[in-house]
Amino acid sequence: MSERLKIFLMLVPALLVIGLLFFGGLFIGLMRSFNYMPVIGLTDPDLSAYLSVFTDREFYLSFLLTFHIAFTSTVISTVIAVGAALLLRRHFLGRAIVNFLFQLNLTIPHLVGAIGILYLFSQSGSFARLAAHWGMIASTSDFPALVFDPYAVGIILQYVWKEVPFIGVIVLANMQTIGEDYESVARSLGATRWQSFRYVLLPLIFPGMLSASVMVFAFTFGAYEIPAILGASFPAALPVLAYRKYTDVDLAARPEAMAMAIVIALLSAVMIYLYLRYSRKRIRG
Amino acid sequence: MKNQINAGLLACALVLAPIAAHADTADGSSLIGKSWDEVVSLAKGGEVNWFLWGGSDNINQYVTEFIGGILKDDFDIKLNRVGLSDTVEAVNIVLGEKESGVLDKGSVDMIWINGENFRTMKQGGLAFCGYTETLPNNKLVDWSNPAIANDFGVPVEGCEVPWSKAQFAFAYDTARTNSPPKSIPEIIDWAKANPGKFTYPAPPDFNGSVFVRHVFYYAAGGVDNLLGDFDQAKYDEVAAKTWEILNDLEPSLWREGKTYPASISALEQLYANSEVDLTFNYEPAGVGLNIENGVFPPTTQGYGLTDGTIGNTNYTIIPFNSPNKAAAMVLQNVLLSGQAQYQKALPDVWGAAAAIDVSRTSDDIQAKFASLNPHPNVAPAAELAKAALPELQASWISAIEKGWQENVGN
Repeated sequence: MSERLKIFLMLVPALLVIGLLFFGGLFIGLMRSFNYMPVIGLTDPDLSAYLSVFTDREFYLSFLLTFHIAFTSTVISTVIAVGAALLLRRHFLGRAIVNFLFQLNLTIPHLVGAIGILYLFSQSGSFARLAAHWGMIASTSDFPALVFDPYAVGIILQYVWKEVPFIGVIVLANMQTIGEDYESVARSLGATRWQSFRYVLLPLIFPGMLSASVMVFAFTFGAYEIPAILGASFPAALPVLAYRKYTDVDLAARPEAMAMAIVIALLSAVMIYLYLRYSRKRIRG
Repeated sequence: MKNQINAGLLACALVLAPIAAHADTADGSSLIGKSWDEVVSLAKGGEVNWFLWGGSDNINQYVTEFIGGILKDDFDIKLNRVGLSDTVEAVNIVLGEKESGVLDKGSVDMIWINGENFRTMKQGGLAFCGYTETLPNNKLVDWSNPAIANDFGVPVEGCEVPWSKAQFAFAYDTARTNSPPKSIPEIIDWAKANPGKFTYPAPPDFNGSVFVRHVFYYAAGGVDNLLGDFDQAKYDEVAAKTWEILNDLEPSLWREGKTYPASISALEQLYANSEVDLTFNYEPAGVGLNIENGVFPPTTQGYGLTDGTIGNTNYTIIPFNSPNKAAAMVLQNVLLSGQAQYQKALPDVWGAAAAIDVSRTSDDIQAKFASLNPHPNVAPAAELAKAALPELQASWISAIEKGWQENVGN
């Protein structure tokens, strides 16, 4: 048996899983999105589902909202994570404990985090009650709307809380392998602290930071549960909108749900491509 | 070599033996007309996967412990309760199975269902039908009652079995509100006079949708004009009025109507946290359970409206591709029994109204029903029934939900 064949055979189980479950599902979804669903008598494929998705005003509003959620969460998480990693790579007393606490919420499921945000930040949540108790606001309903709000503050808070340690851990590991020698050289040649970070360290940690933040972007763009729990009813994030169509009692709405899911997949692929290109240009200059 | 094959076959047979102990009863037509004893013996040793809304601990406990216990002890059937947040999820599973050619090994054996989802099951040919006469306890059901023989206007035609009756009711906190609004126009005025203290879940949430239908009935000047098949002209006229009323009300709602709670649980949370002052539910008994569980303040009182509230019957259905139809039929028969319906009606168990005609049960069960002590804070079913409104046909309901999303919820 040749080496190549061996490698191929060893990859077969993984490929089968991806091929069958992922591409199989994608294929069925695609067929349904073209209005092909023999079980309810739809046998002539057409593009009407896409047409109705693209002529729906809510779809565009949902897209803007979802983009805002994914983009803002990714940028804020990345900035905070890099800052935290810069602090955590130093040696200080109790570093092990701080490091542990920093990574602790990696193990907490997103849903639990969302419920936590709800308990803390809603208008009947802990912060609203404390603020009212201390007389900072007249009644709890004067507390600013941070969940179910049009700017998705609650959703972004949850994502930042959860993704900072994720990006942070990757960036920190990156920094530790690189070490501080390059920066020391730059500093000895007269670079300021900012310059040695911007032109030496940042380009070095960039690949790791980029792939981590792309993962966060793709996840937050396509995730359903957090906007479903913390989001306003209108406009809803794209995945919530797609699920709503999918659970519409009218079977005829299924193709529309599938069309929307396909569009979400395409949109996130395009945006990840643009994001990679643009940020490479900006940082590498 | 041959010996090895034989040994292999034997091993296979031994491994498969425990699984094959109960019969595969995917072929429903062969069960229809069989004697009940035969059905029971076919079901023995098997299991049944029941998909139902899982948002209430009390209901879950009743199903798993009480009903599951009877199935285990009396029939040697294992009941697997599968909780859903929305019944349509189970319908989607059956539909997906039909599409992919799973015609006799489906994963869903029974669904708690009614209304639009039942229409979908019929529309897609997803229901097992025509067997209800085979269930001995079917004689306890009053099929001559149109509210039982029709599920949201869709004829049942032996495709499902009634389980409970429910009627929409409101609830308020006597400690916070002196006199609650007692009709749809009063609720609208009250909400305007108390800005931020009222809201309703956004349709297609089941309960939010029912609230919108009450306003729709009010805008139509009564439900009588709306019964029967969907009528586009009539719909357009009434819908325009309804959206006007609701849009006019919107600035006075919780969060100025910029967002609506996503589900009935979210509304109940808002009420429990005093963010809003009124709540409602299609299952009026929920008030009692929420008080007992410490979710609602004990000063919460349920009540009906003077201009009536909508009532319905809910059912259980067996999908066409269930491989455990005999076990599912045994389960349905247990659910219909006087004992199970009585247990379900106990206020500290669930408090749900019986779907069977109690006068057809044994004297013993009738006496038990007569001795029921409803929870004092729950709107009494007899009181609600005095002003009961029918449900519309499912096509009306979809149109109203869609119309709300396009005209009010954005």
